[in-house]
Amino acid sequence: MGVREILAEWGVKEYRRIDKRALAEITLGASILATGGGGDPEIGLLWAYNVVEQGKEILLVDPDDMPDEALATIAGCLGAALVLTEKPPNGQELFWCYEALGRYMGKPVQAVVPPEAGGVNTPVPMAVAGAVGVPVIDADGMGRAFPELQMTSFYIHGVSPSPTVAADEKGHITIADTTDALMAERIIRNAAMAYGGISWIAGYPMTGKQLKETAILRSISLAWELGRRVMEARRRHRDPIQEVISLTKGYRAFQGKIVDINREFGAEKTKGFSMGRITLEGIDDFKGHTAAIDFQNEWLTLHVDGEVRCMPPDLICILDPATGEPIRTDVVKYGYRGVVVLIPAHERMRTKKGIETFGPRYFGYDYDYVPVERLMGD
Amino acid sequence: MAGTLRLGFDVGGTFTDGVLMRDREVLAKAKALTTEDVTTGIINALDELLKSSGVNPAEIGMVSLGTTHTTNAIIERRNLNKVGIFRLAAPATTAIPPLTGWPEDLKRAIGGPEFVHIIRGGSEYDGRDIAPLDEGAIAEACRKMKGKVDSVAITGVFSPIIPKHEERAAEIVRDVLGDEVHITLSHRIATISLLERENSAILNASVITVMRRAVESLKEAVKERGINAPLFIVQNDGSVMSADYAVDYPIFTVASGPAASVRGAVYLSGIEDGVVVDIGGTSTDVAYIVKGFPRESSITVTIGGVKTNIRCPDLLSIALGGGTIVKHKGEEVVALGPESVGYNLVRLGKAFGGPLLTVHDVAVAKGVLTERLDVFKTDFVTHPEKIEALPKRLVENAWAAIKATLEEAIDKMKTTAEPVPAIFIGGGALVVPREGIAGVSKVLSPEHFEVGGAVGTTIAEIGAYAEGVVDLEREDREEAIARVIEQAKDNAAAAGAIRETVEVMDIEEIPFTYMPGKREKIRVRVKGKIFA
Repeated sequence: MGVREILAEWGVKEYRRIDKRALAEITLGASILATGGGGDPEIGLLWAYNVVEQGKEILLVDPDDMPDEALATIAGCLGAALVLTEKPPNGQELFWCYEALGRYMGKPVQAVVPPEAGGVNTPVPMAVAGAVGVPVIDADGMGRAFPELQMTSFYIHGVSPSPTVAADEKGHITIADTTDALMAERIIRNAAMAYGGISWIAGYPMTGKQLKETAILRSISLAWELGRRVMEARRRHRDPIQEVISLTKGYRAFQGKIVDINREFGAEKTKGFSMGRITLEGIDDFKGHTAAIDFQNEWLTLHVDGEVRCMPPDLICILDPATGEPIRTDVVKYGYRGVVVLIPAHERMRTKKGIETFGPRYFGYDYDYVPVERLMGD
Repeated sequence: MAGTLRLGFDVGGTFTDGVLMRDREVLAKAKALTTEDVTTGIINALDELLKSSGVNPAEIGMVSLGTTHTTNAIIERRNLNKVGIFRLAAPATTAIPPLTGWPEDLKRAIGGPEFVHIIRGGSEYDGRDIAPLDEGAIAEACRKMKGKVDSVAITGVFSPIIPKHEERAAEIVRDVLGDEVHITLSHRIATISLLERENSAILNASVITVMRRAVESLKEAVKERGINAPLFIVQNDGSVMSADYAVDYPIFTVASGPAASVRGAVYLSGIEDGVVVDIGGTSTDVAYIVKGFPRESSITVTIGGVKTNIRCPDLLSIALGGGTIVKHKGEEVVALGPESVGYNLVRLGKAFGGPLLTVHDVAVAKGVLTERLDVFKTDFVTHPEKIEALPKRLVENAWAAIKATLEEAIDKMKTTAEPVPAIFIGGGALVVPREGIAGVSKVLSPEHFEVGGAVGTTIAEIGAYAEGVVDLEREDREEAIARVIEQAKDNAAAAGAIRETVEVMDIEEIPFTYMPGKREKIRVRVKGKIFA
């Protein structure tokens, strides 16, 4: 069954067709929302371009148009960003995931929902949906990027990641089926290591009803609009940062030059992540002030002159002032200049379970979550 | 080495500069118009230097140049090689085949998809094979491309860490296609990031003949004039490599010219940390220097429409030069450029009786130009009455606009809040404001600043780097770093440096993200002297 047949069966007449230009815009928007992490989105973008060039259709469908009983899963990758950059996929990995998942569950997957509206895991599900022939649902599980499998709005609102299937380019398959979401994360991460650094994954099977109740809805549209406006601003020589702020109700929290990058190399051993802190010296309106941003794959917390201004799950983005291009934690270098933009997390990420799962205490900070709106004095 | 004199050339958009040096002393300098084939312009400058200095060519011990040969060939899609392309990676990576995202005309110019092959092979990051190398498939593909390709580019997954598959593939290619087909191995070109490294390797393979011809004709021209000295080319980081090495790695010369200017500025001024501002006829390049070398660009570098991860200096080019046209409405400045009159300044500029107001004319009106530079054939003003007729307010407004443009560019490149020294070089260094520049502690224009780029090519330091991936759970950090340093020194020696003089410039550690364990990448940059 192809994507058109699925939409006909659902009775969907309105959808948005994702062409190459749309892919570029969505990917830029997703890179901004990736809060410095999420992996190099270029791999997903080029892959999706090739899918479109082969004449396959990538169709974006509103979550309200997905039937309550239809089955969707996430598709993407999990593991080492550097390995992804060096060993892109062959395009079959996620087919095999779907095949295995369909076999295991005894019913076919009818839609793809991106796990993240941030980084490589936004264009990748688009490429996969186009290649497999199913629609992409306009939603995701974070409204940003986070490092671990269980750090999703799906999980905190009651959807289990299991079964999740991981595959590599040779067709090795791992199925994690456990009631313990943290265990599922460990299994899949260990599969990634056995595969050479990257797991291609499909999982979090959920019905249309569950998706509507747990996902961050219409976040792909938001990323698209964000990317579109930033590109437009570049063309017209307008301030791209202002576009980001006005669309996301964000804050221009700091502007500075990176004067120190202190990577805590030990963290790779104890936690399996890149951790560290960058220090920015203020410029322009922020001259004389100093900012510190901690990171764990993604930017985590912002302190200005020692005062906390943002904590997870609220978003921290460091953007190039001229182009709005985001600066990533894996490539950040001494001397970069950036504007720090803070964006409130989606309300669905701010529940009690959400703060337990990805709030400041989960990341080892000894303080309670305070929303960025309060920290910024609104 | 035959002699102690050094010849250096720098090819710019308008002029090709040449200098003859003894130690730190500039014996002669020359400016010739840059020609379309580039080589003729260099030879013209060479002849002028030999004539004006009267030195015995046998005393010349080194010839070096900063060049635009490769950049021009790629941008103009001219004289490019047909390239056989091998990626050692299957069953991985096939979702994004080679040449994805390339401009169609450039794809066609190098032979197109007919010669593209993704072969079983390549490595995992930990050294396992993705698949054993499919040697038969390589030989078979070579037989099909025999007589149709000039060069071959081979890229294997994780080859910067584990190069064995690329090296074995090269042996097979050489067996079938022979020595006349040039082979580029990606791990010798660039670092981790498969697609960008592959693009860099393919572009390198496409300009082999261009560089080989340039080097051969220059060697011949030099020899004909009785000079018996090795030829060196400036590479992107501002150090030099032997011309014979450059023939194999022409892609390392895409930023050759601007990089030479930075080195020249450092050499002439003695300042190792600060801002270099190279002002030419049509544009100004601003670079930030750390320990005497330009800071590298952090983002991917696009060459001719193709994304690469070639290391290039982080340069900011702005459309401001001596010939830049000042657009104005009455006494108000509307815009500076971007158009420039270039070397037609002497016909079109107000100072020479022409119709257009240029940056040069504003400088004349401000009275900052007081004498003619030796290398320019004409005086700086022939029609002073035209300059005197300019409204005072317009001159002041234009001067302020030029200053603001320079300040903005300098501020963009600086990484420290403290004022830093700025070195102004190039033929246009005297025609811009130099007093009270924001963020700058002092402006210097050392002697011979107008041929700073050519001087920069003669410095005789070779740069190189190496990378390694270590697991700090199994290997001692200090030992791991020492191992990578040795590799970098070997690379520098292979490029022509005296091994004992090689010193470490930079050590960088990059952890593997998202992975448990203590794996990291160590990157070491070194430089070494060609002369003891």
